[in-house]
Amino acid sequence: MDDDQEQTPPPPTQPTHTGSPTDFLKGVVGKRVIVRLTSGVDYRGVLSCLDGYMNIALEQTEEHVNGVVTNRYGDAFIRGNNVLYISAAEAL
Amino acid sequence: METSSIQEPFDLIRLSLSERVFVKLRGDRELTGILHAYDGHMNLIMSDVEETIMIVDEATTAVNVRDDDHEISRLIIEQVAKRKVEMLFVRGDGVILVSHRNSVLCALPLKSKQVSPPSRT
Amino acid sequence: MASQILPLELIDKCIGSRIWVVMKNDREFTGTLLGFDDFVNMVLEDVTEYETTAEGRTKKSLAQTLLNGNNICMVGTFLLLPYFALMPRQLIPGSDGPDASS
Repeated sequence: MDDDQEQTPPPPTQPTHTGSPTDFLKGVVGKRVIVRLTSGVDYRGVLSCLDGYMNIALEQTEEHVNGVVTNRYGDAFIRGNNVLYISAAEAL
Repeated sequence: METSSIQEPFDLIRLSLSERVFVKLRGDRELTGILHAYDGHMNLIMSDVEETIMIVDEATTAVNVRDDDHEISRLIIEQVAKRKVEMLFVRGDGVILVSHRNSVLCALPLKSKQVSPPSRT
Repeated sequence: MASQILPLELIDKCIGSRIWVVMKNDREFTGTLLGFDDFVNMVLEDVTEYETTAEGRTKKSLAQTLLNGNNICMVGTFLLLPYFALMPRQLIPGSDGPDASS
């Protein structure tokens, strides 16, 4: 897995049109999400919070590998550089 | 865990200080141990650490894809190396996930964790 | 050089359109672009994720999704040019995505 250039500074906070990553993240906190890592592993859970590096705190987390639940965590911290995407798993 | 006390992801780590934590690392490695310190890179200092290294044989895995054979699955599972380390520094860029080891929810035995045949649907 | 269009301006013009995102690895996404930031992290809607493996291409539908810009390689639109028709496996203008021709 290539892990070269990390996103060092937190994202700029300039106000943009709705639909920006910042707006999406504001809307998705507290909701059920799927966090996909670049390795292909999925974490499904309730997004408690995240920061500008896309570090993520998840609650009621299930780890899915190829569609199979391989682990469960009460709370999990996921380091942002591994994140491929964060997808809403319920209506926003 | 008091959810309201978590404002940012690192709070989760802060609340785990002096506790036994589970750390998932790149390269199919896992650690459990007492978390003593961390920083913004997620560099960690841990003690009383048990490291688990999953040795996933690519060839064996490939066979496992084609037929979902129990024998083969078991073969993969048993290729696990463990070792204990008294005190450990973990470089942050290898960290994938940090969680509580003593959580009721994360009680799945190690054996069943690695079964997960890489089936493609 | 003042009249030169910046790459991110072009992406800005894609907001509201369906786009096609190719990652550094064997993964592709299509979806409607809702927004992006300076890192080209993108918010997409009605997303389909494609993963090309030895066993073939897998497909997965996703709702609103924030795609990490770190792993993005290329971004294409569905409207632009017959240029894309030169890539038979991937994109044909007006098609539904990378798997439409397979």
